[in-house]
Amino acid sequence: MRYGMVIDQKRCIGCWTCAMSCKSANGLPDGVWWNRVLSDGGEEFETMRGEFPHAKVDFTPVSCQHCENPACVKVCPVGATYKDPDTGIVRQDYDKCIGCRMCMAACPYTGVRSFNWEEPAYSIGFATGDADAAPHQKHVVEKCTFCYQRTSQGETPACMELCPVRARFWGDLDDPESEVAKLVATRSYQQLLPDEGTKPSVYYLV
Amino acid sequence: MSDINNGVGVIDDDFNPAAAPKAREAAGARAAAWGGKGLTAGIAVSALIALIGIVLWVMQLSGGMVQTAMRNLDSWGLYITMFMLFVGLSAGGLIISSVPKAFGIRGFGGISKVAVMSSIAATVAAIAFVVVDLGQPLRLWELFAYSNLGSPLMWDIIVLGTYLILSCVYLWAQVRAEAGRVSATALRVISVVALVCAVLVHSVTAWIFGLQQGREMWHTALLAPWFVSSALVCGTGLVLAVCAGLSRAGYIEFGRDNQVKLAKLLAVFVLVDLYFFGCDLLTEAFPAAGGMEVVAMLTSGPLAPFFWGEIVLCAVAAVICLVPSLRTTPLLVAASVAAILAILCKRVQLLVGGFQLTNLDLAGPVTPATVTGWESGLQGAYTGMVYWPAPIEWGVALGVVALGVCVFLLGVKYLPLRPKQD
Repeated sequence: MRYGMVIDQKRCIGCWTCAMSCKSANGLPDGVWWNRVLSDGGEEFETMRGEFPHAKVDFTPVSCQHCENPACVKVCPVGATYKDPDTGIVRQDYDKCIGCRMCMAACPYTGVRSFNWEEPAYSIGFATGDADAAPHQKHVVEKCTFCYQRTSQGETPACMELCPVRARFWGDLDDPESEVAKLVATRSYQQLLPDEGTKPSVYYLV
Repeated sequence: MSDINNGVGVIDDDFNPAAAPKAREAAGARAAAWGGKGLTAGIAVSALIALIGIVLWVMQLSGGMVQTAMRNLDSWGLYITMFMLFVGLSAGGLIISSVPKAFGIRGFGGISKVAVMSSIAATVAAIAFVVVDLGQPLRLWELFAYSNLGSPLMWDIIVLGTYLILSCVYLWAQVRAEAGRVSATALRVISVVALVCAVLVHSVTAWIFGLQQGREMWHTALLAPWFVSSALVCGTGLVLAVCAGLSRAGYIEFGRDNQVKLAKLLAVFVLVDLYFFGCDLLTEAFPAAGGMEVVAMLTSGPLAPFFWGEIVLCAVAAVICLVPSLRTTPLLVAASVAAILAILCKRVQLLVGGFQLTNLDLAGPVTPATVTGWESGLQGAYTGMVYWPAPIEWGVALGVVALGVCVFLLGVKYLPLRPKQD
């Protein structure tokens, strides 16, 4: 089994709802985003490329790509970041992480890994989110876990649930009958940085 | 071996076991006797600075690494830069000391043990720089409990630890050899092992960076040999400068002929290092594709001061070392300092350059955790150098350097590092 995600860039409107539901479900501290929606038009978010009436912008929601050949797993000196053999999810063990940030240097996907540079703080004064999501720790690296607390119970990741345009799909890429496998088989798609050889489990429909 | 044992004269660091008993007494006497108030003051001051560094480190851990300038998109900084530099600095001493013994050729006079002491001090500082960079130093034990032997960082920890122990053993073996307790053959074997380990330690440090395909600036097979050559440049520079200083203080004799020999070596190492740099730049630039970004960043982009700084400093060092009339002691010391600073410039280029070029050219909102200059947005953060150290990092780094200096000075004061005088 290899869990994967398919994101339809033709549908995505860049609303950040998936990023918000990720943040609240996983109780992410202030300033931390595991899932970010990025735009391709210019130096600022939502900058259009080209000029009116031909201006366009495409959105790319980016979180951990849960690579089949993850650069981060290889370099972690203590095995705090590891690939779950049953699901292919790249997981992160906060209790083990020594905070060397080798994985952040190794990951080619700029910014998907984040380090808690200070004691996790919450603007509303307390953590929110799933009760069984691992509590955040100071001075360790964390990232998207495909909502392991949910997916290990047979549920879908939080970012799937509220997408207003239903641009996100989730399932087992190894199962040819799954929605994600069918989409990958029938639609044209791109992956982020395929030249890096990391074989991401996230596909973008274009 | 006979050519080693027959080497005579105070300036030669080869050993003559026949003179052992006398040397043993002398070594003991010297060890206790050397050093005036100046040395004691030096030890006290460096210990104090190291202590302040430790206090700052504790502040960094308790208040959070948010006090440093490191952030998610530039997640390593001054500490790892200095780690690279100090691993390099540790090279010179051990290699200069072990090559003559390993190959049975004449050494550089009575500087062998001082040189190894400088290696030990630099290695201690290098390890300390990794430790202060860690977010969870109390979990260091996990490195040994849960070792992932596939990680270049794990290789480095193993090799660096071995290197430190080996340097100490090597120093001890030299002292014991003078006392006739270690045979010349045994010393030669240790020399060979030490030499191999020295080459490994630089290669492995390079692989921490060079094996990461995701960073255009780092991902080159040349990086490991290049780290060895850079290490030889700054390591030889360190030994030359330190020995000139200790010679002036009357601790060891470091004659002109040996100074010139070391200076010529330094020049060769500098030229080899520049040659590697040229090879790398050409390989990056020639396809006029992705690598062009690296070349532009170095030659005319945010890292230009460090790029041209390295080139100029290397040129100065090489000219001083190659022109016979310029080889005066003060100028050779200047050349050594220039060589060390040149390699520091190289290390800054490598570290910052690795983060300066992002792979995903997409825009998004930033938070205080994203990047150092987050206030001016992504574009602003990358306009200049994406990373520049925060005050606390300078303080901690100064403390670690002082720790290395303190270790070295303690060695000078209490260990029999001077050559036997029979």
